[in-house]
Amino acid sequence: MSETQPIRSTRFRREREADWVALEGLVARVESSGGNRLSFDESRSLAALYRKAATSLSVARDISLDRGLLDYLEALVARAFLAVYAPQESLSGVIGRFFGGSASAAVRRSWASILMAFLALALGGWVAAMLFAQDPAWFYAFVPGELAGDRGPGASTEALRDVLFNTDGNLVAQLGAFAAFLFSHNTRVALFSFALGVFACVPSLLLTIYNGLILGAFWGLYADRGLGLELFGWLSIHGVTEMSALALAAAGGFRLGLALLFPGGLTRKDSLRAASKDAVKLALVASLMLLVAGLLEGFARQMVTDTGMRIMIGWGIGALWLAWFMLAGRRAH
Amino acid sequence: MAMQETPAQVARRLDSNRRWFDLVPPEGVPIRFEVAGLAARFGAQLLDILITTVVVIAVLILLALLPFNLEPLIASLAAILMLVIRAPYYILTELFWNGRTVGKRAAGLRVLGADGRGLTTHAVVARNLLKEVEIFMPGSLLLASGGLGTFWNVVLLVWIIIVLAVPLTNRKRQRLGDLIANTYVTSRPRSVLLPDLSGGSKAAAFDFTAAQMEHYGRFELQTLERLLRADTASASSEERRRESLVQVAAQIRRKIGYEEAVPPARAEEFLRAFYTAQRAFLEQKRVFGEVRDDKHHRTEDADQTS
Repeated sequence: MSETQPIRSTRFRREREADWVALEGLVARVESSGGNRLSFDESRSLAALYRKAATSLSVARDISLDRGLLDYLEALVARAFLAVYAPQESLSGVIGRFFGGSASAAVRRSWASILMAFLALALGGWVAAMLFAQDPAWFYAFVPGELAGDRGPGASTEALRDVLFNTDGNLVAQLGAFAAFLFSHNTRVALFSFALGVFACVPSLLLTIYNGLILGAFWGLYADRGLGLELFGWLSIHGVTEMSALALAAAGGFRLGLALLFPGGLTRKDSLRAASKDAVKLALVASLMLLVAGLLEGFARQMVTDTGMRIMIGWGIGALWLAWFMLAGRRAH
Repeated sequence: MAMQETPAQVARRLDSNRRWFDLVPPEGVPIRFEVAGLAARFGAQLLDILITTVVVIAVLILLALLPFNLEPLIASLAAILMLVIRAPYYILTELFWNGRTVGKRAAGLRVLGADGRGLTTHAVVARNLLKEVEIFMPGSLLLASGGLGTFWNVVLLVWIIIVLAVPLTNRKRQRLGDLIANTYVTSRPRSVLLPDLSGGSKAAAFDFTAAQMEHYGRFELQTLERLLRADTASASSEERRRESLVQVAAQIRRKIGYEEAVPPARAEEFLRAFYTAQRAFLEQKRVFGEVRDDKHHRTEDADQTS
């Protein structure tokens, strides 16, 4: 044994130790204050030193039996990896991309699921309206008590009209509470129909049809009293946005469920992950639309009482949504 | 025929029980990360919930100072604010602080993209949106469970059981959101550069023959390394370490047939010299393809198939 010549793995370490220590210094700075604080040269040497350290680790795993060194390199390369592969996003970039095309492209790709959701809504509405025409008692089967309030088949036509148009101070508070409830009710329905899509679409489909049933029951009641157009206006101003949001959320759920049912050439896990890229964007769009719907419901509906105006605002905003979905990010393709 | 487990095998079995995962970055060198403990994740979550709740309460108090009667709206307003403040809080902190919320920072945790290419915006948004569905929605329903019917209580219970079972049953402790977003949660790696134990001795005080090197393998070498590196903070533990060094030196001398006597005062010096020689010998063997994992000369491959 020669004492003057250090063993191979020790020489290996001595030759590279300075680089590792330099890398550790840079990594520590990135960890404490973010990668943006590094100068251009420092960033470049961070990347270069990271690759060197990764190579060192690979070699050391083969030639060295020094546990202390191996543990150090494992941890150092892991820290450097985290510093080098940090997400390079800015808030404006993320938001700009979302509104500028990625969200609308996801909506366009999901047209079949969205159609399915709207059809489910329409089916529910149609069935409820038909059943109500046969027997008004069906109203109670579809509409939960809290949602109905004192609007039921038993209420007088005047009372029903009042709910649509009265902006009396006392009622404002009442309607405000009702609006808030509806907002949270529909938010919850949207969340559920999105999340439960994973279970092969069935719960999402049922929830969407159920929502259509509620709508249809109200429609049947008001149409029966000759208030159909007024209800249409009352619902339009926020409902166009709100029902579209529900449909989009359900469509997100359908995308997930369909990915599980028909994974094609992928494994079910991979298929679900791929579908989640669009589904998550649909959920974000839906929550944004619910927020707008809540604002429309809380304020615009109270302030605008003219049915024609209500219909115009509601469908006008609906057209804006449609324009966003259809047009944004088209040129990129 | 049941074979006796060697200490090296026991050590490897214990090691494989520790949870870790390998990421393969584009550089092609797999990097090992340790899976975060459930307690740390729970703690981080608790701190984050505390922070967001405090912010929501502060905003509610500000709103209450406005000259409107918000009394009947307070519950739904709180629910909406929770959603509007909480979801962006998680998403933005994880995106801009590279997978760390305030709570995760405190608990030393990080979110990682499982594909080895860093976190994407999609992954962060997906895992946190699912957190709303997974944790917060059943959580808030649980608080209001008195008003639900039996059916919904059962649904809620089943849902909570599923949500809890997923991270408990998979090796990498991924919750549903992690599975969909393809992310892991890891504890922060700590790198400490320890001095090299080999080549410390100045004079060739101890000489070993090649035959004396044939007795031990990687496991014994690294056990010796741990003993030599042992932290001696207090005087009594320093005393104990001295004793064990002397014992181990005697044991090794007996085993390898080292003739020369080693005075207790030089036990550490002897062990360091032996460590250096043994490591050089085993590393040399390794370069030529002979991996000695422990003193029974089992190769790593043979162990894995047995």
